[in-house]
Amino acid sequence: MERTRDAPSNLGCESRCDAVTPAVELLEVRKSYGGVPAVDGLSFQIPPARIFGLLGPNGAGKTSTIRMMIGITSPDSGLVRLFGEPLRRRALRRVGYLPEERGLYRRMTVGANLVFLGSLAGLSVATSRQRIDAWTRRLGAADWVDRRVEELSKGMQQKIQFIAALLHDPDLIVMDEPFAGLDPVNTMQLKDVLVGLRAAGKSILFSTHRMDQVEKLCDSICLVNRGKAVLQGSLSEIKNSNGRRFVQIDYEGDGACLAGHPLIDSLNDYGNHAELRLKPGADAQELLQTAMRGLRVIRFQVMDPSLEQIFIERVGEQA
Amino acid sequence: MSEFSIHKVWIVAKREYLERVRTRSFVLSTFATPLLMGTFLIVPTMITASTARNIMLDSSRPARVVIASDNRALAELARGELTRQRGTPYAASVLSPTSPAAREQLDSRLDASGIEGYVWLDGPALASRKVVFTTRRMGDFVLQRRLGAALSYAFAAQRMVNQGGSPGEVAATLQPVDLTALAAGNSSAVFNELRGAAVVFIFLFVMVFSLLSYGVMVMRSVMEEKSSRITEVLMCAASAQELMAGKILGTGSVGLTQIGLWLAVAALGASRSLYLRTAMTALDVGPSLIVYFVVFYTLGYLLYSAVFAGVGAIFNSIDEAQQWNFVVILPLIAAAAMILPVATSSDSPISVAASLFPFSAPILMFERLAVHDPPPWQLAASLLLLLATIGAAMFISARIYRTGILMYGKRPTIRELSRWLRHA
Repeated sequence: MERTRDAPSNLGCESRCDAVTPAVELLEVRKSYGGVPAVDGLSFQIPPARIFGLLGPNGAGKTSTIRMMIGITSPDSGLVRLFGEPLRRRALRRVGYLPEERGLYRRMTVGANLVFLGSLAGLSVATSRQRIDAWTRRLGAADWVDRRVEELSKGMQQKIQFIAALLHDPDLIVMDEPFAGLDPVNTMQLKDVLVGLRAAGKSILFSTHRMDQVEKLCDSICLVNRGKAVLQGSLSEIKNSNGRRFVQIDYEGDGACLAGHPLIDSLNDYGNHAELRLKPGADAQELLQTAMRGLRVIRFQVMDPSLEQIFIERVGEQA
Repeated sequence: MSEFSIHKVWIVAKREYLERVRTRSFVLSTFATPLLMGTFLIVPTMITASTARNIMLDSSRPARVVIASDNRALAELARGELTRQRGTPYAASVLSPTSPAAREQLDSRLDASGIEGYVWLDGPALASRKVVFTTRRMGDFVLQRRLGAALSYAFAAQRMVNQGGSPGEVAATLQPVDLTALAAGNSSAVFNELRGAAVVFIFLFVMVFSLLSYGVMVMRSVMEEKSSRITEVLMCAASAQELMAGKILGTGSVGLTQIGLWLAVAALGASRSLYLRTAMTALDVGPSLIVYFVVFYTLGYLLYSAVFAGVGAIFNSIDEAQQWNFVVILPLIAAAAMILPVATSSDSPISVAASLFPFSAPILMFERLAVHDPPPWQLAASLLLLLATIGAAMFISARIYRTGILMYGKRPTIRELSRWLRHA
């Protein structure tokens, strides 16, 4: 704990920092377990009021990174800053965390669990109760407050944990696979909450391997593989820099003329619909002309690459 | 990141405490333990005491014993001695002389439960003084002790009579000594053998039982949090040290509450019931004994719960923990096994060493304080060693806890554990 903790110069910082300073900053962070690097020189920052996606395959080092960010473990080297200052426990009051490995006290009621977690996060019992009431109403969980956790379904429990992470109104929200195990209706509900929180100026780190969710939600991403950043930046920049090489064609006729075409790198043909990737430097117009000669083309669309495609490409390159 | 918040420890402890005292098992064990204790400790003590004092057994149905002897006078002396006291629970008759037919008859009376046993004093037995008592009550050691004493009396008395002593002189010479022990330095505290045993055993039973059950409770609680995966949420809000300290304090307070309830009920009972008051006085429960008990119980609990918390963090299931659990429980069992030797020879070097060894000190130093005043330096050394060991155990356990509670699946090797210790 630094001695400067309560220095007056820091007191006025919080509101100013919130507007401009990154909520999280990682500088060359490393962490090994038993000689095996889990995080290997990772650097990124999460700007305020942004949703940031930390992506990567299983075992890429996402959870290890998050654990260092919120002080559960310490990096072997490198620096973690929260709200512009080196990480200290007091700053964690401004962090809400939904871990991938989640749990609640099964024999306690939902209300008691939330009050307890709220107290640990620094809330008074009365404030906790007020907020529990508001959140459970908003998420349609008001009837569960007096029920024991063990009586709830997994999806219901997950909603309660979501509330637990947000109860103390954190400025940084860290969510590890927040939608895992949720049905589409609940996923949509929680997505709306996250979007609302971003609009309210909260920074959100969202760790997942579900690319479709990231594409819809995130402003910027960091793709990690084997503890290293493979790709990072704003989502639009990343898509642009990966070129418009993806084409979808709806057609009638025999699609065999597309197979083995010199301009096409890879092809997924569904009979009346094909998805393909052009070779580097290939011209989509040229392909359209070829296709029109052999097929009746109903729709021809040059697309941004999906994040999943970029992900598979980048991670595949490393494998 | 080394900030330690007492407030968070308090919040964690409060949850732990409230959750535990509200459980059915707490209510059950609070009521069942005194009953069990009564069954296992007080009842046998009472029966032994009562039998010894001949006040408990129904004298209308005394234990019937036959003394068969070729020396009728000796048999009569033994019979008289055995049944001398008023309200004696024994009825004895004499059969003289002995014969094989008489023995067969005695055996058949034994089989038909007509008598509880017979002493066979034929010529060789009289010469060698090696006497056989055939009985259906093998376990009644009081009867056997009494009978042995009566026969010894008879042999001695007859010899004195043969040498010309009058019956009055003989009786006066052989009158047994009534021994009462007085605790040194406290003339009002009569330390009778039976009372002392009862005090020590009740308190020691409670201590061993509580240390074990609340230590294991801390371990289970750590495992529950680990297996319910709530630990990671908690770790973001509080440090491992805060969580462990809260858990140990909360669970420990449950133990103290339980013991406090027992003491309160005993005190309330004593104020209302003459019988209980007599019992409490007989058990010689003074304030200093209770203070010693609370101090040593608390220290013992802090030590064992710290170790148990570490063990809980290492393993993933109770089954897995079971075999290592034993290593932790072993010193407690060893200390329990030392209770009797320490009671009988409180100042022997082994007793002193065992009462200084931190893992047995809570039980055995308390016992020595209860039965005898050990030198103050030994008490001080015991407390200091205990406190130092608690500090070390907390330090090591907190480090193991910090890493262990986030490790799921594989059980760590000793090498991994030492790495946790170094790098936590």
